[in-house]
Amino acid sequence: MMKEVFKIEGLSLFYKDLQAIKNIDLDIYKNQITALIGPSGCGKSTFIRCLNRMNDLIPEARMEGCIRFDGEECQVTGYDVIGLRKKVGMVFQKPNPFPMSIFDNVAYGPRQQGVRNKEVLKEIVEKALKQAALYEEVVDRLNDSALTLSGGQQQRLCIARALAMEPEVILMDEPTSALDPIATQKIETLLEELKKEYTIIIVTHSMQQAARISDYTAFFYMGELIEYDKTNVIFSVPKNKQTEDYVTGRFG
Amino acid sequence: MARKTYSLSKIDSITSKAMMAFGIISASFIVLISFFITIRGIRPFITDNSGLGSVNLWRFLTDTVWLRGPTFISTAYGAGFLVIQTLYLAFLSLVISFPIGVLTALFIAKIAPKPVASIMRGIVELMASIPSIVYGLVGVGFFLPIIYNLARALGQQSPGGNGTLGIVVVLALMSLPTITAISEVSIRSVDKSLEQASLALGASPTQTRFKITLLAAKSGIFSGAILAIGRALGEATAVSLVAGNARSGPNFGLFSINSTLTSTMLEGLKETVGIDYDIRFSVGVLLMIVILITNFVLNFIKRKVGNVNV
Amino acid sequence: MSKRKIRQYLLDSLTYISTAISVLALSVIFFFVLREGGSLLSIDLLSGNYHAQGFVGTLINESDETFELGDIIGDKLFTVERYGIVLEQTQDLAGDSVIKVYYVDQASPLRNLNNTDPSANEKIIGLREGMVLRRVSYQEHPTSLTSRGAEAMANDLNDDSREIREVIFSLEGGGIRGSVITTLYLIGLTLMFALPFGILTAIYFNEFAPMNKITKLMRNFIETLTGVPSIIYGLLGITVFVPLTVRLTPASNTNLIAGALTLSVILLPVIIRTTEEALKVVPNDHRFASLALGANRTQTTFKVVLKQALPGILTATFLGIGRVIGESAALIFVLGTAVKDQVRIFEPSTSLAVHIWSMMTDEPANIALSSTIALIILLIVLILNILIKATVFIFSKKGSA
Repeated sequence: MMKEVFKIEGLSLFYKDLQAIKNIDLDIYKNQITALIGPSGCGKSTFIRCLNRMNDLIPEARMEGCIRFDGEECQVTGYDVIGLRKKVGMVFQKPNPFPMSIFDNVAYGPRQQGVRNKEVLKEIVEKALKQAALYEEVVDRLNDSALTLSGGQQQRLCIARALAMEPEVILMDEPTSALDPIATQKIETLLEELKKEYTIIIVTHSMQQAARISDYTAFFYMGELIEYDKTNVIFSVPKNKQTEDYVTGRFG
Repeated sequence: MARKTYSLSKIDSITSKAMMAFGIISASFIVLISFFITIRGIRPFITDNSGLGSVNLWRFLTDTVWLRGPTFISTAYGAGFLVIQTLYLAFLSLVISFPIGVLTALFIAKIAPKPVASIMRGIVELMASIPSIVYGLVGVGFFLPIIYNLARALGQQSPGGNGTLGIVVVLALMSLPTITAISEVSIRSVDKSLEQASLALGASPTQTRFKITLLAAKSGIFSGAILAIGRALGEATAVSLVAGNARSGPNFGLFSINSTLTSTMLEGLKETVGIDYDIRFSVGVLLMIVILITNFVLNFIKRKVGNVNV
Repeated sequence: MSKRKIRQYLLDSLTYISTAISVLALSVIFFFVLREGGSLLSIDLLSGNYHAQGFVGTLINESDETFELGDIIGDKLFTVERYGIVLEQTQDLAGDSVIKVYYVDQASPLRNLNNTDPSANEKIIGLREGMVLRRVSYQEHPTSLTSRGAEAMANDLNDDSREIREVIFSLEGGGIRGSVITTLYLIGLTLMFALPFGILTAIYFNEFAPMNKITKLMRNFIETLTGVPSIIYGLLGITVFVPLTVRLTPASNTNLIAGALTLSVILLPVIIRTTEEALKVVPNDHRFASLALGANRTQTTFKVVLKQALPGILTATFLGIGRVIGESAALIFVLGTAVKDQVRIFEPSTSLAVHIWSMMTDEPANIALSSTIALIILLIVLILNILIKATVFIFSKKGSA
């Protein structure tokens, strides 16, 4: 039996009066890649932002239900949100490196946690960059601005930035949608490697991508979780008609 | 653009030409200003100033005394120290107004609840629209006595509080709304996903604001500072009321009397003619050159800093 | 961890402190101006003359009767039974200490005096209520001065051994009517020059100008005007507009028209920018709709587009008024610093802001009256800011409806 990292029960999220997520039950398994698919506006991005409580930043958003992270209820007030975000890293849709050097980008997270020792930081940065398969490409120019990197490199830098925090889970919100096919392929290969150490939850627009890389796939539609199963099940013998229509491209 | 697709009728082409005249005249004022003031400004150097002899340009640019001898017999003018003092005072005022302005902007854009933020914006706009003469008046009536007492408490000489500190305070107050307003806009337009990325890395909102938001907004913040410096260099009446009008220099002491290019242009203007009047145009030309060079240099630095990591 | 928390609180509190300083700065300005100048603010100040018209008179006949003045109540009032007048120790509009005439008996010999000015039309002048008694000089006795106070002057006048040689008195001065009128003239004239010019320029750039390098250069030139300090505009005025007006008008020196022309150049970039911003947001659909109905571009621009740019033009007007009211450095050169009571547009005078500068550079500086004028300026600026907000609010509501 695989270990659950996240156990989500009856999760709903409201923006003012609008219910963006409707009563979702879902378990995320350790060291697996879980893909969230569904048409735009179906609530998948909103959903992963519940997992590191980024929705806290929206004043009108209200959450109901229960999320357990490593067995502990993490949606309650008083839970150490910053601690949660350290353990649950996030990579965004568009590469968004900070306007500072490559090194400083990766070192940013540890520095905010009070790591000052140069040698330690150097080690962390090197390890993270290696894990993100970026080290070879940037080793001579760690002090160059991160904005000089190509789009694909920038996104891998953002992954390295998240890895530097040594998280347990990495949330990825359509990480390849702004990248060209070659850069996308590099990132997909990277994810295969990363799953040995990390749990990855990836929101993607591309069904092929979900089919290629993920172990589990969840299909969202209109804020509801329609179907959740092993990826090969979802793509070959889905139980739900809507899922079948979506994965075969016959959708609305 | 839409205008490309229009076709021009006859009446339209007449209108267009007529309107162009307005455009050309409006655009020509900067040329007029430069031309006429330069013509007047070089006069003291190339004419014999009705028998007094011409002003020595080199001494004018390097001398440390404004005027040697009485106005009606001397052409020995120096403005070099005025340039140094003007720059010194403008940058010193920025040392005060820049941090306060940027942090106020950060508060308005990122921390304050909506109603508070909109009140603060109103306050900043109001401060920006208060005329400089009022700042000068408040400087004289409110700040000079305080500076005077402060100087006495520190055992320093201070002629009624006039001088460096008074100018710096007045200039800082005046440039505060400029810096705040421009910084606020650029802080507000920082890409939200950058801040979210920082938060997602476990940084606190405070850390994010100071490390990421300010960093990402630095170009706009720098522009605000450049604008503020330009204003401070050219400010005249408010400065002239609190300067104490030092006739020699350069003066750097906080409590010593001081002077700027503009305050010297205004000093004694009411009762002067001839060379002493014309030389003020030369100071005006010098002022424009100083502002131009400062702007150029700061913009150059801004471009450099924009590309290099901090 | 706790160390980090403290650091964060410190950083956060820095922003609070900075904001507090900004608020404090504005409060200090208002507080100071209200405290120093609030008490002088009055309708009389706004409508009164600045320069007091003075008179010097001599007694026509010395009378021996004394007057019954009854009980005058007030510790600032002093009776002169010998001449039948009551003096008051008070302040004039400008806040200077003066001796005012509180009461003059119908039969007082001071009511009718010989005018010592032979060129004056009125041969007989007289002391009236509300006038300011400046000095009284006597034969073989020291003169009574304002600076010694009303009580001393009353005592001197009551002294039977003294024989009046001259009475020097004046109408009350210290009002700012002249500067108010100059400012109003400046606002009117400047807007009259700058608004049409600026609006037409903005229309040219937004509706007609070709997109080429020359247009870009012209725009840059206009944009550069914003960075030019106002004292430089003063130099422009004195080299261009003053000689121009001297040649073309009856003016012989610095004058109001030249001031308004100078201010127009200062306002130009503001008006152009604000109007252009308003023109830019007019949807192209509206232009196309008008053109599709057979209107030409001229008609389209002036009938359809310009109408929608009205809020921008209104905002530009308010901004312009604010700038005219506050401008001092340029006007010191172009308009002069002499405070006038009779304002003529071809002569020098002072605006409210220059009036402040003029008084502050005098010895001694008159902070009280300066603050009152500053208070007036601040109130106008406040109203203008509210008007600008209201304009944006009203028109943005209309737009969305």
